[in-house]
Amino acid sequence: MKPQAHHRPGESRWKGYLYLLPGFLIYLLFTLIPIIETVRTSFFDWGALGKSNIWVGLGNYIDLLNDSTFLKAFSNNLVFIIFYSIIPIMLGLFLASLLGRYPIPGFTFFRTVLFLPQVISMVVVGVIWRWMFHPTTGPVNLLLGAIGLEEFQQAWLGSFAWALLSVGSVGSWVQYGFCMVLFLAGMQRISEEYYEASSLDGANELQQFIHITVPGLKSEIGVALITTMIAALRVFDLVYATTRGGPGESTLVTGFLIYRTAILNNDIGYGAAMATVLTIVILSLSLLIRKLMTERSDEAA
Amino acid sequence: MTLHWRKIIPRYLVLTVFMLVVLLPIWGALMSAFKSNAEIATSPFSLPQIWTLENFRQAWTVGKFSVFFKNSVIVTTIVVVASVFLSTLSGYAFGQLPLPGRAILFPLMLVGYMVPFEAVVIPLYNWMGLLGLRNTYWALILPQIGLSVSFGTLWMSSFFENAPRELVDAATIDGCNRWQTLWQILWPLAKPATTTLIVLIFMWTWNEFLLALVMVQSEAMRTLSVGLAFFQGRYTSNLSLMAAGAIIVALPTVLIYIIFQRFFIRGMLGGAIKG
Amino acid sequence: MKRIRNFFLITTIFLLTLTSCIPDTPTEVSQEPVGEVPAEPAEDLTLLVWDQFYRPEESAVIDQLNREFENDHPGVTIERETKILEDLKLTVKLALAEADGPDVAQVNQGRSDMGAMVEADLLLPLNEYQTQYNWANVFGTSVASRNSFTPDGKTFGQGNLYGVSPTAEVVGVFYNKGIFAENGWSVPTTFEDFEQLLADIKAAGITPIAFGSLDGWNAIHEFSAIQHLLVSLDYINNLTYGVNNVSFDTPENIEAARIFYDWAQAGYFTDGYSGIGYDDSNNQFKAGEGAMTITGSWFAPELLTGTDQDFGFFLLPGFSGQATVAIGGVGIPYSIRKTTEHPDIAAEYLNWMISPRAAELWAGIGMLPAMSLPEGSDVDTDNLFGETLFAWDTINTNNAVGHYIDWATPTFYDTLVAELQKLLGSVSTPAEFTVAVEADYAQFLQGQ
Repeated sequence: MKPQAHHRPGESRWKGYLYLLPGFLIYLLFTLIPIIETVRTSFFDWGALGKSNIWVGLGNYIDLLNDSTFLKAFSNNLVFIIFYSIIPIMLGLFLASLLGRYPIPGFTFFRTVLFLPQVISMVVVGVIWRWMFHPTTGPVNLLLGAIGLEEFQQAWLGSFAWALLSVGSVGSWVQYGFCMVLFLAGMQRISEEYYEASSLDGANELQQFIHITVPGLKSEIGVALITTMIAALRVFDLVYATTRGGPGESTLVTGFLIYRTAILNNDIGYGAAMATVLTIVILSLSLLIRKLMTERSDEAA
Repeated sequence: MTLHWRKIIPRYLVLTVFMLVVLLPIWGALMSAFKSNAEIATSPFSLPQIWTLENFRQAWTVGKFSVFFKNSVIVTTIVVVASVFLSTLSGYAFGQLPLPGRAILFPLMLVGYMVPFEAVVIPLYNWMGLLGLRNTYWALILPQIGLSVSFGTLWMSSFFENAPRELVDAATIDGCNRWQTLWQILWPLAKPATTTLIVLIFMWTWNEFLLALVMVQSEAMRTLSVGLAFFQGRYTSNLSLMAAGAIIVALPTVLIYIIFQRFFIRGMLGGAIKG
Repeated sequence: MKRIRNFFLITTIFLLTLTSCIPDTPTEVSQEPVGEVPAEPAEDLTLLVWDQFYRPEESAVIDQLNREFENDHPGVTIERETKILEDLKLTVKLALAEADGPDVAQVNQGRSDMGAMVEADLLLPLNEYQTQYNWANVFGTSVASRNSFTPDGKTFGQGNLYGVSPTAEVVGVFYNKGIFAENGWSVPTTFEDFEQLLADIKAAGITPIAFGSLDGWNAIHEFSAIQHLLVSLDYINNLTYGVNNVSFDTPENIEAARIFYDWAQAGYFTDGYSGIGYDDSNNQFKAGEGAMTITGSWFAPELLTGTDQDFGFFLLPGFSGQATVAIGGVGIPYSIRKTTEHPDIAAEYLNWMISPRAAELWAGIGMLPAMSLPEGSDVDTDNLFGETLFAWDTINTNNAVGHYIDWATPTFYDTLVAELQKLLGSVSTPAEFTVAVEADYAQFLQGQ
């Protein structure tokens, strides 16, 4: 950020506000103030539909610490990080290493297709995968049956052993193309000379991948990690459209629990406390990403 | 440098497998939308024996997707136009104009880009009556503009910061005022950045679910993603109808993605990197 | 913080005025004393009605009733919006606070719905209309209490009447008569026979009970249907209304959970039931997959159309054949928005929805009406509908109409769904199940 703006003679130095304020006001009213209000609400025990409220201080937060449902939901978010971040990043690195250095015919086509799940509404994704996972008519079980693996057929979304894994895999399905494209962009920066030099030293492709590609993509990996982690913490649409958190609490996530607590069950203050915790976690991660990126641009400079 | 075919073929094989993993579910849903339920159950991925548009017709009329579609178009259009316009103004303010208090304002703007909708939905839900927003498009439009403007401002300000100084100076000498400089000199240069912003805000607004679920009560005001979610509750076992509904929701973003692919990818990577 | 909020309001109102989009603030409607004669509208008016009768057969009944109401009330237009229950539960509480919200809406019973709305002062008490229209002749106090709350919304089952229910419901066993006849099975009269029958059906290679627990809520009915055989009506009443400090952690409830769990373990439910939704499972049963299914009488209209199978209905029989309590009651009631400008005509509409004519139309599609059929009505009762009607009459005669236990606390529904799925998935034992549910219940009683 370099404030290069310069003042013109005869112009009010407040003129910038004329341009800033229209957008900023809407932002202030519909984003900033509601955030503050969420935090304020979290210190109250709200009566039905917000007609009365009682100050409870940190009471809601203390309850959260002892609320096994909330802790379970939050820990599911952490498990989602494996599916939303770790697996897609590994797959993305692998795919990018196949596509990145050499222009093979059809490059654009593969990139277009693999990125596609990113642009589709998560509700649509949920609808599609709820069908894919259906125990009797779903293609996943049909395919397993067709290749003689009947014993692996499952009630994917209803099983305690498989539901989280199934919904999580959908997250990986959505994210790995994004990671791949991010890494492909990053690989443009890595000079071909490094690879040529190591080839002369007799390094094979795997060694080059480990010693040149991965370190060269360090900052992209950081970005991918945190972006997808935030996505994992914010999961709502997908769980809504597939399992609603079941069976039991096995796929319950914080976003859905906030909705259920505050909106469906009218426990607004308690839901606001959950929302505040989630927001703080996400904000901290986002600040981390910025720090990372600043370091990157410093390196570049 | 090109690869030997012996290295190319395994690459194609691996890429094809991953492409199929992405495409098969989408392909299956697309084909299901043109089939009968009986046919889906036996051969989910094959081409329909008899192509039928009946599922789309039913979803469109009985399922009220025509209404949801209209609502999504109205909400998305207003959000995109307003957000892009306002972001251009505020981005210009950050990038080109003296702005006392900038050191405070900039991080404030950043907060909106980072927070999830969960952070704002509860008070907005509570206040809708007080705000007179209940059951209006504005209940969806205003909060979405708010969040889009924060990203849009950051996005546009980085364009304006890097705009060629000489052009601006030349415009000043020619007697352009700030407003004219923005629209006559810089705006034409900002086309790629603006296009990217348009497609991103379009996609986010079109696909938005939580706000649309909570802020609108009447079916007549509902947008596509929520319409589809409740459609799923109503026709849970009518797969072909569900598939048709899902295709209606997904088609516009997919088309725009295919047309503006370059901008999409640049924007989403840029957005991620900007953080 | 108050100042910030006011600032928020003022600025927003300013902005909204610019965009000319601010509706009038709702004005308090004075509660005029109800006259003797239903008030005829002086001018044309539109009554906005939200209901959840979205299935085609049900929807046709409402359309027919609305048409007839409009014909009898010139100048009145009914504008109807149909929602699935989930949609209705989510949106109606906000919509009822709007000046242009529905004048009449179906409001689910129980604490998290009707209770919360009463507490927020959104619903019109119907006591005066109850007297005016003599609803005491239409439904008794046990039915009225299901739609009643004290004005603070805290006490369920007493106080003001806030809704009237057009349909009745009883949870029991639907069975496929064709499958029963082919195999020489007959309707069991004791619970022991019923369990023997389950084993026999399983041995014959047929799914004994079509069931899908993915949506969760119907698992509550399956469990609670067994529970109702083991406990007294007093217990169910106390539990539901939150009185007399009962516990959920009782030997009877553990036993009911154990039976339910054993059925799952014995393979009596549809293969892959945990991944199948309620409607899905019903469709499979309707298509002839599965000998029986346990659900409410509301399923009957669907089974009477669009299938070549023949279905019957019986109450889950009691241990040693003794008379038992069964889950049942009245369907989701119609309520009136507190701030409606047309309370009298809305009440007139409610009265029409529970009229003998409505009873006749409901019965005509096989849905149990909450009201008596008109004298000399020629509704066909020699079918599945007749069997659900018989079951409903039986539990009424025996004073054995139970409850949906998920009404008991605001979070009971979520808790029961999650804990029953855990039980079925062998994640918890029957004893752990009742302890976990009791934790929710005890916390609620403590907060009362």
